[in-house]
Amino acid sequence: MSDKDDEFLKRLLVTFKVEADEHLKGLCSGLLELEQGAVPQRRAELVEIIFREAHSLKGAARAVNQVGIESLCQALEGVLATVKRNELPTSAGLFDLLQEVLDLLAKILPKAGTERTQEDKALQRQLISRLEEAGKGKNGETGKGGTRETSKGGNGETVKRGNAADEECISDSTELPDFPVQKDSPIQKVCSMPDSVRVSTARLTSVLLQSEEMLSAKLASSQRVLDMRNVSATFGAWKKQWARIRPLVQELKSPGPRDKVRGEEPGAGRRQRSLARVLDFLDWNSDVITSLEARFAVEVKSAERDGRALGGMINNLLDDMKKVLMFPFSSLLEILPKIVRDLSRENGKKIDLTISGEEIEIDRRILEEMKDPLVHLVRNCIDHGIENPAERKAKGKPLRGTIRIAVLPRDGKVELTIADDGGGIPLEGVRSALLKLDTLPADKVAELGDQDLLAFVFQSGITTSPIITEISGRGLGLAIVREKVEKLGGTVTVESAPEAGTTFRIALPLTVATFRGILVRLGERLFVLPAMYVARVVRVAPDDIKSVENRETISLDGKAVSLTRLARVLELPVSNGETNFSDLLPVVLLAASDTRIAFQVDEVLGELEVLLKGLGPQLSRVRNVAGATVLGNGRVAPILNVTDLLNSAIKGAAFSSRRGVAAEAGERAGRPHSVLVVEDSITTRILLKNILESSGYTVVTAVDGLDGFTILKSGTFDIVVSDVDMPRMNGFELTAKIRADREYVDLPVVLVTALASREDRERGIDAGANAYIVKSSFDQSNLLEVMKKLV
Amino acid sequence: MSEDDNERQRILKARAVALAREPEQGAAEESRIGIVEFLIADERYAIESAYIGEVYPLKHLTPLPCTPAYVLGVINMRGKILSVIDLRTFFDLPDRGLSDLNKVIVLHDGAMEFGVLADAVIAARWIPRSVLLPSLPTLTEIRAEYLMGVTEERLIVLDGGKLLSDRGIIVHEEV
Repeated sequence: MSDKDDEFLKRLLVTFKVEADEHLKGLCSGLLELEQGAVPQRRAELVEIIFREAHSLKGAARAVNQVGIESLCQALEGVLATVKRNELPTSAGLFDLLQEVLDLLAKILPKAGTERTQEDKALQRQLISRLEEAGKGKNGETGKGGTRETSKGGNGETVKRGNAADEECISDSTELPDFPVQKDSPIQKVCSMPDSVRVSTARLTSVLLQSEEMLSAKLASSQRVLDMRNVSATFGAWKKQWARIRPLVQELKSPGPRDKVRGEEPGAGRRQRSLARVLDFLDWNSDVITSLEARFAVEVKSAERDGRALGGMINNLLDDMKKVLMFPFSSLLEILPKIVRDLSRENGKKIDLTISGEEIEIDRRILEEMKDPLVHLVRNCIDHGIENPAERKAKGKPLRGTIRIAVLPRDGKVELTIADDGGGIPLEGVRSALLKLDTLPADKVAELGDQDLLAFVFQSGITTSPIITEISGRGLGLAIVREKVEKLGGTVTVESAPEAGTTFRIALPLTVATFRGILVRLGERLFVLPAMYVARVVRVAPDDIKSVENRETISLDGKAVSLTRLARVLELPVSNGETNFSDLLPVVLLAASDTRIAFQVDEVLGELEVLLKGLGPQLSRVRNVAGATVLGNGRVAPILNVTDLLNSAIKGAAFSSRRGVAAEAGERAGRPHSVLVVEDSITTRILLKNILESSGYTVVTAVDGLDGFTILKSGTFDIVVSDVDMPRMNGFELTAKIRADREYVDLPVVLVTALASREDRERGIDAGANAYIVKSSFDQSNLLEVMKKLV
Repeated sequence: MSEDDNERQRILKARAVALAREPEQGAAEESRIGIVEFLIADERYAIESAYIGEVYPLKHLTPLPCTPAYVLGVINMRGKILSVIDLRTFFDLPDRGLSDLNKVIVLHDGAMEFGVLADAVIAARWIPRSVLLPSLPTLTEIRAEYLMGVTEERLIVLDGGKLLSDRGIIVHEEV
């Protein structure tokens, strides 16, 4: 029983925390607006709102037995009630006290249901008594006279502001009815919205993920249609063959030669009848295939139609789903006023915050990720950017600094600007920090221009702050900002002018769900490059590759760009077999934050829509790989991390010298031997392929005997390595079939098998295999030795 | 009410009582563990079934560049990407023959999930805990920390919980 009660209480607490959080936000924003000084009418509204929020929070806390929060709210409500009755002027000291109470509430709310620390309890008791005192104290003075300092003992300025507020308060007291704004207060509006439903974000996200998964259904369906079209095409091939054979069939059917044969051989009559039946069957067969073709064509048409309909539906669903998760920036920006207020007060600076464009909507997940970078940038503005009032006065600037935050839609993206009118980034400071870091030679550092230096502020370890404060100065913040922004597929840049201020511009995509990718091939592997980082896809002639300081470069738009091989950066074997030196080489130019490097690939297959998926918890971070996506045929293709690729290319000795590659190829003396590996187990297939490739063979793989024989017919091979136990056509059958073909009588066949018995070995030799290797005793030198003997 | 009816009631009641009784628990329950037994390169291994989500046939494997050798690649498991690892390479065991790793045994606990490749899954069964002997260095080359024990018939029972919580199996590499 008690377990159930606990469970119930837990669930209640979860609901309570969500609700309490909203009340707290309401309290906080109301209080801030009130503090900034509002017109009398709005003032009354605000007092009413925050009073109600405190009241509701108290009630909610009582319902879940949170005595601590309840008593705190009780005291808060008491003070607010006196403010409401205009018996207490709203002084700066009072606002500080109230903010302190909110801070404590925000701190203890998430921990509701667990034991609180002694410290929190003490602070709570202290705050309650201060609140009570604040509320009581005013009664005796009936709203006139000096402001009662409830905390800290404010300075002259706060007292003055307190008095101003006080006067306002009194002046509108007469117009303040008991519940004047109840009808159209914002809270009321929210409550009376009958067409909205509260759904937990976890549930909503899960629905979104599922609908994004529908994308693979769409891709799969178009792949099916493609496959079916290919099958359709084979009917065409059949038609051609049949058209050639048909006259022959007709000729055999004609009575002339039949009569002649009958005369010559005894028993020929029976053979004639058989032949006639076979010929009739062939005719019937062609009719069946022709009608099958027609029916299949109809099926392809309907599959196409269904595919299009499904595609349209899924596109709509995804669009709508994305809209559901679009949130206005205000939900992110609303935390800033309080942060600016608290921090500027701590730093003894006077700062105004202006926000515009907060109504613009963006994917919730981006907002969530942007919270830390944004808070960091704003802290930077306060800590490093805006000078203290004395300094500003000396410079002839207005005493109050300004932080402007603007959200602007721009070419399908959103630009978030965080600007201050402070002293700007001290470039010499960046230069000396760079020297201290010692990653670049001193003369290089001295040469750097202003723009170059500015770009370095995002590098970790760079800080211009002479002292490390609690807020910033460790030189990590901007590096993290850039990492987060880039992870979301955005970019961040900075502009700074001495004494005029600093502006950070962050360009963000509207949604993180799907993006365009470029599909490239390296050997048999496919990779996806995010299209937003692909500046260009070009084909270059080998002659256009110039070697500069032992590095390969190509010329694009009149500028030299470093060239490397993607395979080399990814630590894969660089294939030489396919790319003929006279062919044009496909090259992808990748660009991110001012670095541009061209990567040579084996083939660029096209552009496609991809859904980024994580690699799972075991692969927490893989070098050069950002994630994976599922292609239309159900296979997985890795999505590459462009920032990593560029860094790897720069760091490693990845820049290939063409001469080196040519020399490597030359060592192998002539054309490498080609091997056909036939094996149904995917791991063994890959293993054999790797072993053989690393010993200089070119390898083509097949998944079973039938597949193997088809591939064998379509190319030239020096040797076949085959498994025995395979579906459709096993290794013995394949060997026999190879031996039966006049073309391949001398082609060496090596059987690699789990069947170790003598009978099996004999069967293999009978079928015509040249060697028989048992898997349980397999080792690669053994196989390679055998193969060397055979080719 | 006839004699038959009474008799029927009595029988039904007796059955109900028998069914309502909780199954015998205690010592017998605690001393058994459920295991899934599988083959890798002709060696028999087992992992406690509590850590095994499912066994999935390996159809397509996408190798990943820039990963340690024991990471064979990733597969698409109903739309989810699952990494698969080769236990023998992870344990640094010498290559012994060529194996047909075509079954993915999905290991999971709350936080971690990955697949290990096996040639074949032999059986899921219960074994008494008492048959597990501490490993002798001569019995297996796997480090003792990954072992739950070895049975007399040389079935190597791996510690699934240890594998899943092992930080060393996680790949986290930056450029």
